[in-house]
Amino acid sequence: MTSEAQQSSHDTITVIRPDRGWLDLDLGAVWRFRELLGVLVLRDLQVLYKQALLGAGWAILQPVFAVIIFSIIFGYIVKMPSEGVPYPLFAFAGVLPWTYFAEAVRRSGVGLVTDAELVRKIYFPRLIMPLANVVSPLVDFCIAFCVLLVVMAFYGIAPNAKMLLIPFLLAITALLALSIGLWLAPINVRFRDIKHTLPFMIQIWMYATPIVYPLSIVPEQWQMLYSLNPMVGVIEGFRWAVFDKGDPNFMALGMSAGIIVVLLAGGLVFFRRMERTFADVI
Amino acid sequence: MSEDYAIRAEGLGKRYKRLIKSQQHDSLRDVIGAGLTGMFASKAEREQRIARDSFWALSDANFEIKRGENVGIIGLNGAGKSTLLKILSRITTPTTGTVNIKGRLGALLEVGTGFHHELTGRENVFLYGSILGMTRKEVEAKYDAIVEFSEIPEFMDTPVKRYSSGMYVRLAFAVAAHLDPDILLLDEVLAVGDFAFQRKCMTFARRLEQRGATILFVSHNMHSIKTMCQRVIYLKKGKIVFDGPTAEGLKRYEEDSRLADAPWFKDAADAPIKFTEVKLLNERGEETGVFDYGERMIVRMRYETNRRLEKPDFRVGFDRNDDIACTTYSTSSDKIDIPFVDGEGVIELKTPPIKLVSDVYVANIVVRDAHASMVAAQIGGHFHVRHPVYSAQAYGVYHEAGDWRIDAEAPVLSEAANDGRR
Repeated sequence: MTSEAQQSSHDTITVIRPDRGWLDLDLGAVWRFRELLGVLVLRDLQVLYKQALLGAGWAILQPVFAVIIFSIIFGYIVKMPSEGVPYPLFAFAGVLPWTYFAEAVRRSGVGLVTDAELVRKIYFPRLIMPLANVVSPLVDFCIAFCVLLVVMAFYGIAPNAKMLLIPFLLAITALLALSIGLWLAPINVRFRDIKHTLPFMIQIWMYATPIVYPLSIVPEQWQMLYSLNPMVGVIEGFRWAVFDKGDPNFMALGMSAGIIVVLLAGGLVFFRRMERTFADVI
Repeated sequence: MSEDYAIRAEGLGKRYKRLIKSQQHDSLRDVIGAGLTGMFASKAEREQRIARDSFWALSDANFEIKRGENVGIIGLNGAGKSTLLKILSRITTPTTGTVNIKGRLGALLEVGTGFHHELTGRENVFLYGSILGMTRKEVEAKYDAIVEFSEIPEFMDTPVKRYSSGMYVRLAFAVAAHLDPDILLLDEVLAVGDFAFQRKCMTFARRLEQRGATILFVSHNMHSIKTMCQRVIYLKKGKIVFDGPTAEGLKRYEEDSRLADAPWFKDAADAPIKFTEVKLLNERGEETGVFDYGERMIVRMRYETNRRLEKPDFRVGFDRNDDIACTTYSTSSDKIDIPFVDGEGVIELKTPPIKLVSDVYVANIVVRDAHASMVAAQIGGHFHVRHPVYSAQAYGVYHEAGDWRIDAEAPVLSEAANDGRR
């Protein structure tokens, strides 16, 4: 059933048995099914852009509207400080990676259930599903990023070399979204509550992250605790890369990395542990 | 044990939690509650609870299937057939035992799962191909052959949501047919599509067979099992009760499936009346499982009551293989007044000429009480209706000749008549 089996002789032996210990992650199977990952991402995109009247427009509209609303409320009315950058730009640079993160978490959290029919009827390493769910919103991000460049040009700010670090920051965001998805997806298979609570949780999380306000307004003595939120480092890093101002917040970024490692390792084990009964309970 | 096996299963079992439909997706609250109670239970209590709350959908299955063998898997609904296929195709893991599988295994548990309605036929070929485990290169190489096999090349750029169900199945099967597996698990798929396409699928299975592929075939259609398999594995309540030559296995299955309580009837334990013998006879009084279209059937039922039953309504219903209720004969609708039954007795129904199309049917025997609520439901037996032309695909459920008037001066009419159904 795998490409590997096909390339080698017809004598490849697959052994099916009940228990595969706690730490048998079998990432090799995921690698063998990497093409399916690509195909699922492609499917998501094809479907999204076929169903939606505006197609790629949605990728732009959602963050742009958020930025407009934030600019009116926090920029114009509240007069939030924005570290010497025009407020709309400041908000945009935060909303952009956040939109990606929120979408990746949402999709990977509910993806298995959305594709329940596949899970019930066909074998593939289930890890493929959250992986695909985290990858496909990257396309939206790229489209929206182009809009950011246009808005920056409008404000007369040139792109700078540090922007080359954005893929690295994005990779951290993706890993974080994946590790959260790995925890949420199996829970959502059993308890459909996740689907309903998730948008609400993400909303709260957004206000606990420096999207509409700068990190600097958080009192000094709370900043350490505040940076336990792994998105703090990413958003700060993103603004630093886009606007080339100040120093990167290494403490926050390091904190993010540490938390991601723990969440991801635990998530992988948890997901693999729960995976074997997905088809039975989904 | 030889080394020339394709599938070898040892001590295979699968335990499921017994779930009431509404509890399918537990709410978090219930589970926390149950977890707290469970924490304070002793080990014995806990084991007792597991035994009570779960059942073995499959237990202690041992078998070996040689390379190139075609094996049919039979059993009533819920006997563990699909559990077995799910384990073999790795969709779910077994609770006990191991399986060794040699070679590439392709599972067609349901044709077209994974198709996306919004995507075109062409896009779906690639999507489905890779879901089934083919590489993109492989699908590209076989693309033309797939399209040709499907017989719908002109629809490859149309979203599949605009396909008829027949086209959908054709395309899905065409992709699956080009998977070229060493072992193929087939579940009922051959029952779909029109006759010509079904033949094509059989040819495909034959070709795989000649190439030395192993085929595991699950179906309710005993006819196709008979033509395809030399060996059957018969499952009953999760256990293998027979593993051997097809003819013998089918005979056992037919004997057993007769008089079993209908799976959809829930109060079987408490039924006031039981049928102890049911025979399907032709007009010459011979017991048979095959009736020609237009033949009359005699259903002879022997019953036994536990208690007196007032104004019973005896009913014999024919359901098609795919659970489509086709017709029902009933003593009360035929104005046969039975004041009561008590003790033993025989009831005989002679049907009018059977005009059902060529297919496999189940005869259900049902009794309703004076308030029209069902008090017994048993499976009377399976039978074929035979006709060279009238099939479900082309003719629906039943067929009877109509009276036609063809006006020679307006040939349009006769064309329209011919065009109606193909």
